[in-house]
Amino acid sequence: MSQENRTGRPQGRPPEGGASRLSRTEAGLRGPFLCFFTSAVLWLVVASLLALIAAVKLHRPDFLGACALTTYGRVAAAAQDTFVYGWGFNALFAVNFWLMAQLGRFEFRNGWLATLGGLAWNLALTYGVVQVFRGELGGFALLDLPREVGPVLILAFLFAALWSVVTYARRPSGHNFASQWYVIGATFALPIVFLLGQLMVQWFPSVGTVPALAHAWFVQNLMLLWFGASTLASAYYFIPKILGRPLSHYYLAPVGFWTFFLFAGWTAPAALLGGPIPIWLQSVGVVASVMSIVPVIIVGINFYSTLSVDGGWSRAWNSTTLRFVSVGVVCFSLFGGLSTVFSTRDFSAVLAFTSFAQGQQQLLTYGALTMTLFGASYFVLPRLTGSLWPSAKLVHLHFWAASLGLLVAVVASLAGGWQVGHLLADPAVTTAQAGAATAVWTLAGSIAAMLFLVAHVAFALNAFGMILASSSPTSEGRPD
Amino acid sequence: MKNLNLILAGVFFTVAAAWSGLVITAQVQLGSLGRAPSEEGGPLFPSREPGLAIQGRAVYLDLGCVACHTQQVRPAGQGSDIARGYGVRASVARDYVLQSQVLLGQRRLGPDLANYGARAKSEVELAAFLRTPASGVNHPPYAFLDAERSTALVAYLKSLRQDYSSPEAKLKQ
Repeated sequence: MSQENRTGRPQGRPPEGGASRLSRTEAGLRGPFLCFFTSAVLWLVVASLLALIAAVKLHRPDFLGACALTTYGRVAAAAQDTFVYGWGFNALFAVNFWLMAQLGRFEFRNGWLATLGGLAWNLALTYGVVQVFRGELGGFALLDLPREVGPVLILAFLFAALWSVVTYARRPSGHNFASQWYVIGATFALPIVFLLGQLMVQWFPSVGTVPALAHAWFVQNLMLLWFGASTLASAYYFIPKILGRPLSHYYLAPVGFWTFFLFAGWTAPAALLGGPIPIWLQSVGVVASVMSIVPVIIVGINFYSTLSVDGGWSRAWNSTTLRFVSVGVVCFSLFGGLSTVFSTRDFSAVLAFTSFAQGQQQLLTYGALTMTLFGASYFVLPRLTGSLWPSAKLVHLHFWAASLGLLVAVVASLAGGWQVGHLLADPAVTTAQAGAATAVWTLAGSIAAMLFLVAHVAFALNAFGMILASSSPTSEGRPD
Repeated sequence: MKNLNLILAGVFFTVAAAWSGLVITAQVQLGSLGRAPSEEGGPLFPSREPGLAIQGRAVYLDLGCVACHTQQVRPAGQGSDIARGYGVRASVARDYVLQSQVLLGQRRLGPDLANYGARAKSEVELAAFLRTPASGVNHPPYAFLDAERSTALVAYLKSLRQDYSSPEAKLKQ
């Protein structure tokens, strides 16, 4: 299917040759996919609203400050948890599953098991977020849900996501492509990382700062091996698929894959530079962060050389899916480059504890992952629902509000962090003075949060309109 | 790259290697750390937290204070922490051995609190600040805190001290 539209008007399309016909592969996916996807979009809107409240509280600390329910710490933690575990995980369950089934031509007959995992995941997360607002808050970001939620999430993940590995093992076509490696790697690594993280941070924390190191290791793996690898899986699929040409320098892809997985976990101590952990561990983290540029360069060669011939960028701009995915790919490269350069001690001495790290993380979690997932949604949903996107204007609004929000948010975090870091290098400047001097960046963060909310509401309206308008397509007749 | 087992084994190796190399080795190196005297025959540090401070730690966690405050003083040359009076020496792993949940933090929207007890205001002033922060300070008002929780939180903040000599970080005489 091509989504290209030479007029530049972004508009997803259902599959050609019969809107109400699904391939056999897609028919088995429809139920679980829509379950994960609708959950993801609902969480995304909730996360955006919470992120907006948190952003406003940064420059208006008394905003919603009359009760403990809405302290900045609780709202910010809930916003991050709903974004990561609500939006990110659910959307990846859906998209990774679809990718693997498509590439392996696998007919999935046990959709209810995956759906069951998705329901358990969302119920556990809902309980966890409610507990966060009630003050049952841990001290480690992304492991701050009550610890009893963790085992349920792991079990739910196994039900919801491990089918990706099954589809590869039992694929009838024997098809083998880079996207599949990344999905398998991400899906296999995440439960191990999640289990070890929970055990060492929440259930059986060791003495002193070891849990802090285990937490940093967990977060880096979550961000890189789950979010990063899944982003690359989608990008490796959609770029050649929509451009209709093979990936350039594809022989480099295995090197990129293995170096990506090899270095990712070792980068964790770079987040604790100058902290109370052994210095040799900090040095290992810096070296691994610098080495991580190798897979970033390799995937960059694959993507940019494919996009740079025969008007690829222009065609990408005219395809709704590829427009989002291209932004995701660029953001991934920027994230990789910034992580390499700014993990060194000299920069860390100035930028640690500022919003700079938040800006880097936004490049990955929003710029790379979320934009790529949006692109994937514009490709997959019309196929599974057999409908057109109800409003092209909402598609436009979604893209521009999300892109502008991303630009403002990242620039505000990076520039604000840079300025605060340099101000605080002078011991005479207090944190309050530095905060006041950089209030414009904090305000920009609120504007970005508002833009994100507008973008996500537009996306949700369009997506739910499409899903509600769709019939239940039949599976007979259309071959894969 | 067609062999599923090869991919799974490779991924498992990369994850396990990083976990062993970072977390397990850190556990081996730091896991047996205990309290130590600042001088031979002297009292052991870090001191045990008073019961009220333990309750205050729960309030600190509950309110999400860790989102804006770190508890780690970086060494001289790695930021201006010591020069700006956050601590008299760099934090070391031994400082945290009694903490059931270490709260290093990742963001400083407010000052570092690792050694806050050594420079804190009086209990009354601190409690008043939490209820009604001074103008010009970007701190939320916690007027909703009842006296019991406020007292516990103040006790916890006052208990945060890293102003003793440690085998890994001696105080300059």
